[in-house]
Amino acid sequence: MQTKRLNPVRRFFAIRGMASAMIAFAALIVIYVVFGLSNANVFSAANIQNLLRSMSKYLIIGIGQSYLLITGNIDLSIGSVVGMSAMISATLMTHGVNPLVAAMIALACCLVIGLINGLLVGKAQLPPFIATLGTMFVARGVGYMINGNRNTDAIASGIGAQAGDSFQNFLYYGKTLGVYNTFLVAVAVFIVFFFLLSKTRTGRHIYAIGSNVDAAKLSGVSVFVTTTKAYMVSAFCAFVVGLILCAQASMGNMEAGNMYEMYAVAAGVIGGISPLGGTGLLLGTFAGAAVWQTLENGLNMIGAQVGLQRIVIGVIVVFSVLLDVIVRRGTRKRSK
Amino acid sequence: MKKLLAILCVLCLCLSAFAASAETVKATKAWKIALITMDSIDQHWVKLNEGAQAKATELGVEVTFMSPNTKDDAQQIECVNNAVAGGYNAIMVAANGPDAISSALKEAQAAGVKVVYVDSPANLPAEATFSTDNQAAGKTAGETMLAALTAAGVTEGSIGIVNVNAATDSTVKREAGFRSAFDGSKFTILETQYGEGDAAKSQTIAENYITQGVVGIFGANEGSTTGTGNAIKASGKAVIGVGFDKSDAILGLIKDGYLLATMAQNPDVMGAKGVEACVQALEGQTLGGAVTDTGVSVLTKDTIK
Repeated sequence: MQTKRLNPVRRFFAIRGMASAMIAFAALIVIYVVFGLSNANVFSAANIQNLLRSMSKYLIIGIGQSYLLITGNIDLSIGSVVGMSAMISATLMTHGVNPLVAAMIALACCLVIGLINGLLVGKAQLPPFIATLGTMFVARGVGYMINGNRNTDAIASGIGAQAGDSFQNFLYYGKTLGVYNTFLVAVAVFIVFFFLLSKTRTGRHIYAIGSNVDAAKLSGVSVFVTTTKAYMVSAFCAFVVGLILCAQASMGNMEAGNMYEMYAVAAGVIGGISPLGGTGLLLGTFAGAAVWQTLENGLNMIGAQVGLQRIVIGVIVVFSVLLDVIVRRGTRKRSK
Repeated sequence: MKKLLAILCVLCLCLSAFAASAETVKATKAWKIALITMDSIDQHWVKLNEGAQAKATELGVEVTFMSPNTKDDAQQIECVNNAVAGGYNAIMVAANGPDAISSALKEAQAAGVKVVYVDSPANLPAEATFSTDNQAAGKTAGETMLAALTAAGVTEGSIGIVNVNAATDSTVKREAGFRSAFDGSKFTILETQYGEGDAAKSQTIAENYITQGVVGIFGANEGSTTGTGNAIKASGKAVIGVGFDKSDAILGLIKDGYLLATMAQNPDVMGAKGVEACVQALEGQTLGGAVTDTGVSVLTKDTIK
């Protein structure tokens, strides 16, 4: 084994996707420092707390989307499932349903969308872009209809002020050991799916169908089962973010999670998850989500115009994919 | 001696009361104020920001325009969080919905940040509110349309409403006011359609209304009104369009006769008064959550120069 003779640093970077993830972390530090120089408050403990809380939603949906990107697919329904999750759980809570029960019902509905995505892409072989475009509209439509084309009232109107407050604190406004609960939830989701992806057979199958679907099939990997599992993961992640948005706003908003599917792609891609499938580490998604949120936060704090914000974010997305392509070419040359 | 002191104290109090009543607002520090509107695209918010910036320069304080890209509760909450984390002393906010942003503003107040509402308040007591009485203004819009329809000899028919969404409190109130103007008339008001304040979406909605044969359409905000006017222009039909807010596009549509009137708010006044209130609150004055109506004026072909 050649890798055994390499020193630890080179061995670390020899892990597929690690170089891109580390580049994203480096970019994060640069961006953070640049904003810090223009507004000293960027370095404050309060802002770091704020950043970690805000990036959590991008991290969680980023994880979901990364699973699909690694299999070489995409999930455009994520944002709508976020909205659906928020609307279903909030509507139930405004009718006095216990938050835990409401969340479980929302979860079941979200997983149904994941299952349908899996059936359409894995079984019926529809192009993922089209299949999930369809479920994107369907899920958003369900979110609209669930409360009769209206945003919900405050959840406290159904479950009472005390239960409403504790639901909001549990997922958004409260802290545990000095850290916002939202970030702790995100870290928990991250750890679970990190292990699922890197230490289990399912994880290896996900990489396998992403690198070479035919080879994976020949070696006995069920494309349908693996694809469905990946879509279930993204539906689960979208469900969690929907709950967080519901806790944040204390109500269900029909437009919740609008465009999140694209933010999720951006978080993954900035972190070096290849949109072509087969490579990428969730560590990269972590960095990608942090880069995205730091940009949003910093540009907002200096009062940058919307146009400028979009341009900067767009350029960074393209640049990181370009970097990925260059890195890949470099390694291919070296391996020759 | 004690008496003299007491008299002096009373005099001081009187003087300070007099100073307050004369509304001489002075900033002793370069306070940092964050202005968070519903989005940063509508001319309404741009005008509000201009009014705020002018007042800020006058008073020697700093106002940063930190608004979300689009009307989105989650994004607006993040803006509030960013303002608190960014060390701002006060927040001027136009709440997207009355409920969604309240918890975040409560968190801001707990961190010692003063909150002043401009345009649309949330369900949380704050220092002061400067807004249009939207229900009254909506009723004025309805009455303007009713008068025009009556003048044209139309006494019945259906009327469409293009609104932003069901969560935006200000436009929901305008709609309620508009509907109330038609109470007891023979007109039927159709189910409201929502265009997210987007001119293109609103135009499609208005076009559908025109296909259904409406006699009038009401646009509840700038984007809705622009879309309504453009749809009427494209159809070439004699539909009476009445809207809200003032932009170059809307004024052009009124001048060309495609829209009858628009209810122009005074966002620059909201911005200026909002900054004043922030500074007053930061200087330790109690404003007691007073609500000030900044009024509307009905702009028609005849009143636009």
